[in-house]
Amino acid sequence: MACELEHGPPGVFECQLCSLTAPYSYIGQKPPDTESVILLEESYIMKDPFTANKDRFLVLGSRCSLCSRLVCVGPECSLFYSKRFCLPCVQENIDAFPREIQQDLEKRKVPAKKPVNKPRP
Amino acid sequence: MPPPRTRDSRHHDRDHRDRSHRAAREEEEEARERWDWNRPETRRLFEEAFFREEDSIRQSSEERHKFWAFFERLQRFQNIKASRKEEEEEKGPGLAKPPIPALADLPRTYDPRYRINLSVLGPDVWGSRGSDRPDRRLPPDKVAEFRKALLHFLDFGQKQAFGRLAKLQRERAALPIAQYGHRILQTLREHQVVVVAGDTGCGKSTQVPQYLLAAGFSHVACTQPRRIACISLAKRVSFESLSQYGSRVGYQIRFESTRSAATKIVFLTVGLLLRQIQREPGLPQYQVLIVDEVHERHLHNDFLLGVLRRLLPARPDLKVILMSATINISLFSSYFSGAPVVQVPGRLFPITVVYQPQEAESLAAASKSEKLDPRPFLRVLEAIDHKYPPEERGDLLVFLSGMAEIGAVLEAAQAYAAHTQRWVVLPLHSALSVADQDKVFDVAPPGVRKCILSTNIAETSVTIDGIRFVVDSGKVKEMSYDPQAKLQRLQEFWISQASAEQRKGRAGRTGPGVCFRLYAESDYDAFAPYPVPEIRRVALDALVLQMKSMSVGDPRTFPFIEPPPPASLETAILYLQDQGALDGSEALTPIGSLLAQLPVDVVIGKMLILGCVFRLAEPVLTVAAALSVQSPFTRSAQGSPECAAARRPLESDQGDPFTLFNVFNAWVQVKSERSSNSRKWCRRRGIEEHRLYEMANLRRQFKELLEDHGLLAGVQAATPRDSHSRLQQRRERQALYQLKRQHEEAGGRRRKVLRLQGEADGGSSDEDAEGTATREAGDSVDIQDVKFKLRHNLEQLQAAASSAQDLTRDQLSLLKLVLGRGLYPQLAIPDPFNSGRKDSDQIFHTQAKQGAVVHPTCVFANSPEVLHVQEPEARDKEGSRDDKDKMSSKHQLLTFVSLLETNKPYLVNCVRIPALQSLLLFSRSLDTNGDCSRLVADGWLQLQLVDSESAVRLLAAALRLRARWENALDRQLARQAWRRRDHRDEEEEEEVAESLAHCKDVVALSGELLQFMASKVSYSLRRLTGLETQNLYVGPQTITTAPSLPGLFGSSSLSPHPTKGGYIVTDFLTYNCLTSDSDLYSDCLRTFWTCPHCGLHMPFTPLERMAHENTCPEAPPDGPPGAEDATPEVPQKTSALQRPYHCEACGKDFIFTPTELLRHRRQHM
Ligand SMILES: [Zn+2]
Ligand SMILES: [Zn+2]
Repeated sequence: MACELEHGPPGVFECQLCSLTAPYSYIGQKPPDTESVILLEESYIMKDPFTANKDRFLVLGSRCSLCSRLVCVGPECSLFYSKRFCLPCVQENIDAFPREIQQDLEKRKVPAKKPVNKPRP
Repeated sequence: MPPPRTRDSRHHDRDHRDRSHRAAREEEEEARERWDWNRPETRRLFEEAFFREEDSIRQSSEERHKFWAFFERLQRFQNIKASRKEEEEEKGPGLAKPPIPALADLPRTYDPRYRINLSVLGPDVWGSRGSDRPDRRLPPDKVAEFRKALLHFLDFGQKQAFGRLAKLQRERAALPIAQYGHRILQTLREHQVVVVAGDTGCGKSTQVPQYLLAAGFSHVACTQPRRIACISLAKRVSFESLSQYGSRVGYQIRFESTRSAATKIVFLTVGLLLRQIQREPGLPQYQVLIVDEVHERHLHNDFLLGVLRRLLPARPDLKVILMSATINISLFSSYFSGAPVVQVPGRLFPITVVYQPQEAESLAAASKSEKLDPRPFLRVLEAIDHKYPPEERGDLLVFLSGMAEIGAVLEAAQAYAAHTQRWVVLPLHSALSVADQDKVFDVAPPGVRKCILSTNIAETSVTIDGIRFVVDSGKVKEMSYDPQAKLQRLQEFWISQASAEQRKGRAGRTGPGVCFRLYAESDYDAFAPYPVPEIRRVALDALVLQMKSMSVGDPRTFPFIEPPPPASLETAILYLQDQGALDGSEALTPIGSLLAQLPVDVVIGKMLILGCVFRLAEPVLTVAAALSVQSPFTRSAQGSPECAAARRPLESDQGDPFTLFNVFNAWVQVKSERSSNSRKWCRRRGIEEHRLYEMANLRRQFKELLEDHGLLAGVQAATPRDSHSRLQQRRERQALYQLKRQHEEAGGRRRKVLRLQGEADGGSSDEDAEGTATREAGDSVDIQDVKFKLRHNLEQLQAAASSAQDLTRDQLSLLKLVLGRGLYPQLAIPDPFNSGRKDSDQIFHTQAKQGAVVHPTCVFANSPEVLHVQEPEARDKEGSRDDKDKMSSKHQLLTFVSLLETNKPYLVNCVRIPALQSLLLFSRSLDTNGDCSRLVADGWLQLQLVDSESAVRLLAAALRLRARWENALDRQLARQAWRRRDHRDEEEEEEVAESLAHCKDVVALSGELLQFMASKVSYSLRRLTGLETQNLYVGPQTITTAPSLPGLFGSSSLSPHPTKGGYIVTDFLTYNCLTSDSDLYSDCLRTFWTCPHCGLHMPFTPLERMAHENTCPEAPPDGPPGAEDATPEVPQKTSALQRPYHCEACGKDFIFTPTELLRHRRQHM
């Protein structure tokens, strides 16, 4: 799956944690129709559905660099710190992350308990 | 993966701590102080360096503005943080030893930058772009600063967009129907028809189409009863399914379509789907059909269900989903042989119901004054103020039966609101201007509640958020059709239990609510469970016409889900026969099949076709469109003298359709003047511009229909002559598209905060004017104007409009004739005593309804005198004030578009027409006495002419003109049918010749019709009394003097009329069937007369004399007025005038012309 240059909707992205789904149009590091931006991870990308601008893209998610689970970029599911980590993996290795991130996760724990958007087991 | 090549300069500072570097740094600092990010020049340099030309940030000023605002915020934030950070860095402990090698290369020192998953290229790394060298004016540290800001900006944008996406999915998942998506799809796989029942708020209308889309269905149609719902649902569903800017989801309504080849779901109106079935009965273009809101039981929905039930066996692969509120579900399920039902619970918060029946005194007050007593409603407002603190938000929705009731409560509630300063009171009904309707979506200031006074429009059509309280009056006004009186009646009814529940539910959409019912619980129990379906209360002629054209068989036996009342069906069939759309065997006539394809009233359709015959297509298009939309005149302007004065030059004393015609044309002129503001123009005249846009759309649609059906030759788009103006035109269109795009980007209308009454010193009308003014300032683009100019060829419209100003008097009279014939038999006669009455007391009578009045918006309401018989004309020496027996050549009738009964029966959209001539030309039934001086039209209007000579002349002329008019119409229809087929060349030539001949005939016919209309004959006009109509006819035992006169009436054979007596001359004319008390034998009295042309000398009755004159072969071409036109045709027609005659006296059979016949009969005298 290394730098596929796919256009059109080749498939549907689904987060393995929160099951958010959306059709993606491209997987890779170089979003189509943009020249000045490169992505630092292999990402699932769709055209930004909220704007008419064709050159705006939206990163949906990518694979966790530890467990290679497909996760969305939502803060409930994953974080990026020079690489993508799913939150379960971060929790497991919390000591390996800087204090700022640890604090961030602490703060996040409260709203994460909302009934909607519960991670699927 | 290579590390990002860009690093923020500041983080290298630690490596530069020695002295030499410090010196360099000081220098740098100095430069930095001089550096100004706010200089436009600086900004432009960076923009040019970082953004490509077609980049959205560079192109759109809004994006640029957003970026720089973000940039400034970030800089402020960074300055604060930077000072703190330096201290922290000293004690920064770094990371613990990672347990997993994969975590070993995580950056040791935290920086927010590492949390961003993207990187921005810029001028310093454009190396790959060839010779581009970094701009010397961009210092590296500034470049880094800019890049960092841009990075955060992009990341912020990503987070925002993803947040929206996630929120959208969360909300969708939280809808009650989300749990049922799989079951619906599963059931649909196993069955052909599925009923999805769920109450408002369960999400069925938006979600089910998306489930189908996600399951891979690609040809889905979803019908809606209302056009507006098609648009809003298509917008919502495309947004939710993330294809807002794609074309997977579209809509198709009468004037607009966003459908393309890529469209997978289309929302369309029921009427449109029926038309598609009409064209392709198998409906091959769809895989799945969703029929939404079936419980509302609209006429067309009921019919569609019947059509589908028949279609399904022939299309086993077609799936149908019926969507309904949880009302009467078993009805739908059993209609489709026990189709499975998926029932979805609604999402309503608990609602407390309070029954507050009106006290006797209030009811008594109401019945006495015929005006609604507002006190019970005010009591609810007080109760709310008393019980709920103003900080607890929640608005009030009041359901009233109609506009008058809304007006009554509005007045009282506004007074209360002005006193308490805790309410903003807003009316909501369909006659309001669009802008005023939109106000109900605005928000009230803190501590103030909205009180919306609405008709049942807010029950299903309009959903307003934030309603916590509902007041239900329990009443509704509904249009019902009275087939006997042939009028639409707006009557007040108790609502059904289903409606009461629907109204109540509006209080619980956003939180727990309260519903005040202004009736007793026992009343509720007595309500009908469901509203009366439309099919049981409206005129069915349009439906029957459509059924006929779809060949679904006899409407009487069509398997409706619930059959209509047989009487309504019979009335409709009779009406269509009357209108010539169905023949005697109830089969579609050529004109009927054409009418069935025009999505308009039969009456309007007829007008369009007749207009084409007389080359009046352009003006008739405008008039037909104007009569098919709601009146553009706003109610609020009714009492304003300025509006009335500004409108006056547009008024036509010929009638309302002509006023509307003038308004539309003047508006088009205003539109085509570059600098003028049509919105302002309309407001000044009290005109709702939206209705004019609708007219323009309808007009265009009518035109296309007429072209499609070969009635109107397609016009080539007027192409500008030179390339310069072509280019200019293209530029203008591009500019318009640009404006439209910008408007759509901006998201259309935004919610505003409502102002308290009295804040801007005063009454609601002041507030109104200012409200619209501020609205416009906020939205400088008139998007309606832009859309209008994109949709229509303004040049063409303007050409039509300006040619309308040049319509000759003749053309105008012809136009009136076309309207009159189209509208016939919708006629009213002025009351004979009108000329002695006040303007407001003028009354009119139709055949079925006495004492109707013209609508207050009608031009004749203000100038009734144009309908009176002028005094100088009157020969009545008695000086009586009534017109009943007044002899005049200027009696007039009103022809109208509709008769609407509210508190009074109103004639809507009236035109005045000359009585005698119109009746002679249009009547379905004309009966005469022996000398034709007395005529009765359609059994209710009697005309007494001064002398029988002119009577006979006019009658004979009318007969000929009617025959020729019919013939012209037939030829037009035949040509229309012909044009739609393919043809060989020689046929084409024939067609051209025929077309020329037809054209000449029509010109001649027009001329003669005009002459006929202008003929001056004195007569009296009156409506027969009930007793008179009972004793109108002599009956079958008839006197046998008539057969001597056939020549007078053209080529029809005479036979006695079986019931009226007298003789049938044509299908509408019966001769000598009227009883008469005075001159029963006058027609038999002969005197000697010598024909001035042929010298024939013999005794004649007046009638025989006319007959001879009419047919005398030696008569000069110019006869007396009215009948003269017949003369030139006599030579060719001689043979046609011959008919078999059996002479009783000599017992022989002859073929005689009338003159020959007279000669022969003389032998026996
Ligand atoms: Zn997720
Ligand atoms: Zn993981």
